[in-house]
Amino acid sequence: MLEVKNIKKSYGKMKIVDNVSFTIEKGESFGLLGPNGAGKSTTISMICGLIPYDQGEITISGNSVKKSPMAIKKKIGVVPQEIALYPTMSARDNLLFWGKLYGLSGSQASKRAAEVLEFVGLKDRAKGKIETFSGGMKRRINIGAALMHEPEVLIMDEPTVGIDPQSRNHILETVKKLNEKGITIIYTSHYMEEVEYLCNRVGIMDHGQIIALGTQLELCKRLGGGSIVQLTVENHTEQGVEAINILESVEKILPQEDGMVLDIFVQNPHGALGQIVTTAVNQGIRILSVNVQEPNLESLFLQLTGRSLRD
Amino acid sequence: MKFFIISFKDFKVRISDKKGFISLLVMPIILTAILGSALSGMFSGNAFMPHTTVGVVVYSEDNLTRQFLDEVLQGEELKDTISLKTFDSEKSLKAEVKQQKVDVGLLIPLGWGNGLLTGEIRDLKVFADPGQELQSSIIESISTSFIESVTSVSISSRVFSTHLATTASTSAQQFDVEEASTDVTNQLAIIAGTNRQSVVMEEEGKPAISGMQYYSAAMGAMFVLFNATIGAKSIIQERTTETLARLMNGPIRRYSIILGKFLGTLYLSFLQFIVFITSTHFLFGVDWGNNLLQTVVIGLAYSVAVSGLAMIIAGLITEEKTADTVGGIGVQIFALLGGSMIPIAAFPGVLQQLANFTPNKWVLESLVEIMNGTTWNSLILPITILVLTGFVSLVLGSLRMKLR
Repeated sequence: MLEVKNIKKSYGKMKIVDNVSFTIEKGESFGLLGPNGAGKSTTISMICGLIPYDQGEITISGNSVKKSPMAIKKKIGVVPQEIALYPTMSARDNLLFWGKLYGLSGSQASKRAAEVLEFVGLKDRAKGKIETFSGGMKRRINIGAALMHEPEVLIMDEPTVGIDPQSRNHILETVKKLNEKGITIIYTSHYMEEVEYLCNRVGIMDHGQIIALGTQLELCKRLGGGSIVQLTVENHTEQGVEAINILESVEKILPQEDGMVLDIFVQNPHGALGQIVTTAVNQGIRILSVNVQEPNLESLFLQLTGRSLRD
Repeated sequence: MKFFIISFKDFKVRISDKKGFISLLVMPIILTAILGSALSGMFSGNAFMPHTTVGVVVYSEDNLTRQFLDEVLQGEELKDTISLKTFDSEKSLKAEVKQQKVDVGLLIPLGWGNGLLTGEIRDLKVFADPGQELQSSIIESISTSFIESVTSVSISSRVFSTHLATTASTSAQQFDVEEASTDVTNQLAIIAGTNRQSVVMEEEGKPAISGMQYYSAAMGAMFVLFNATIGAKSIIQERTTETLARLMNGPIRRYSIILGKFLGTLYLSFLQFIVFITSTHFLFGVDWGNNLLQTVVIGLAYSVAVSGLAMIIAGLITEEKTADTVGGIGVQIFALLGGSMIPIAAFPGVLQQLANFTPNKWVLESLVEIMNGTTWNSLILPITILVLTGFVSLVLGSLRMKLR
């Protein structure tokens, strides 16, 4: 369905996207994770045909993005991070406008707008002006506008930024339903729990490169099924950290940047916990709290980069 | 044709902003009413000349003197504006002028009329109160005009008589020189007396327009110009909210988006122009001339220019606030230079030349011409300049325009 093959993009000497490749199958829900500046948005923009790539190739259903951008654009719907709607126009008028731009006739756009409003749960607010809507409602119409032309691929760039948990859940359910209808989803986010919930496969980007790619299960296996014991401490010494690191049950220890949190990668947290705490106390480290994290994308990212996703 | 969808959306968004739209319509109408009424005297011949009491001492009793008093100063055109008051002596006249009982004093010396005919010109004396400079200069101007007319007639008739006399002496035919010269003199005197003794208060060859007419055109031109800022701000706003980027995500070419934005501004500018013309016509009785099509075409050409300027501003400026400031100042400079505040004729030569670079100068001048009655030929230049300004600005703005 979508193939990204060895694409590169540089601005001057700065490599923004460096040899990125991945494929997405029809009907798949693919998550693109990464911190700010990782190159996610540039990659998405290149898929949409907004930014030309320097090298490589992107194809959707066999059509090259570079060679036939208009044909590609008709197949994809983009939900931008910003609320890209006209605030003084009604929800319905906004949808009609975007529908007509994608080639729907007046009656087609009207029929489709009604369906979309129903789908995003805002049928009753069809005539309400966008500027009078809550953040969550605006986000829903923002998604609706991208659905007007019934795209084959829906690209969502952090669609839940800055909204309340209830609206966020509504949007996640909406995305889930769209994927169940057969729409291919590309979902970018800082929130790994959203990606974990929605996506079959995940690509993790950092410094313009894909550093991990696969299903969630495959990726978590890269952690060896291990967990992270997170110690929040008042103080620690190099000697103390090293004493924990050489414990048999510990694979790796990464002090976080503020130095007050130690991320300790272990295979069996329950067996290792006692040893870690005892060693720490013996080394004069004062522990404030202990937290055990099950293997997830966040811990994988941490292990791969030494940084948190939201850093 | 996706640019039509974009332009109609823009038009709809802007007219739904009732506050902004009403202020764009109501403000120029209010300003027109104020300026048109307050400054109407600058444009109307009768209104320009305030009522004037002229004190006269007449020592001369010939025909020309009587003609000057009865047919010029008290003729059809001026009898309602000028009151004549006769005095016996120069001394009493001066006293009255000093006491401001009369506005201007005029002393006609003995043999003045005959002196003009024989070429021995005798000057009129004009006494003016320092506070009535305008009236005294007008009376002086009327008098000078009359003197020049009569003098030129008498000189030309004398030359003609001499010439005829010379020619007749070489002819075999009998020729009554005296009769011929009298005839010619009479004919010329009629022409001189009727056509040349008025004060010209407007530009050569053009009838006067009223202050209300001028300021209607001026305010219309100025307020339509504001659409350049409004149009530019709309583009900058869409760039900020990323609706422009979203448009780029769709199957729409860049030129369609830019053309759509251009047309959106054009529709609004033109609508504002039409509404303004209609409102001023029905509210203030402004006569926009006899050729509505000319007015509409010049309005359309101006809207093209204004919409082009919006694209230039949007291409050069990225911040809405900056566009507001630059646009506001720009409109004021253009309005001032283009004659929307003060007629261009009042400017020094350099500024008049600079005015040629303002689109509102061309539209204002054209509208005034249309009010006076003009031909399509004379409108070709302003229409071409306005349309070219619009399209060149559109191209330049498009080259600079960042949609994302």
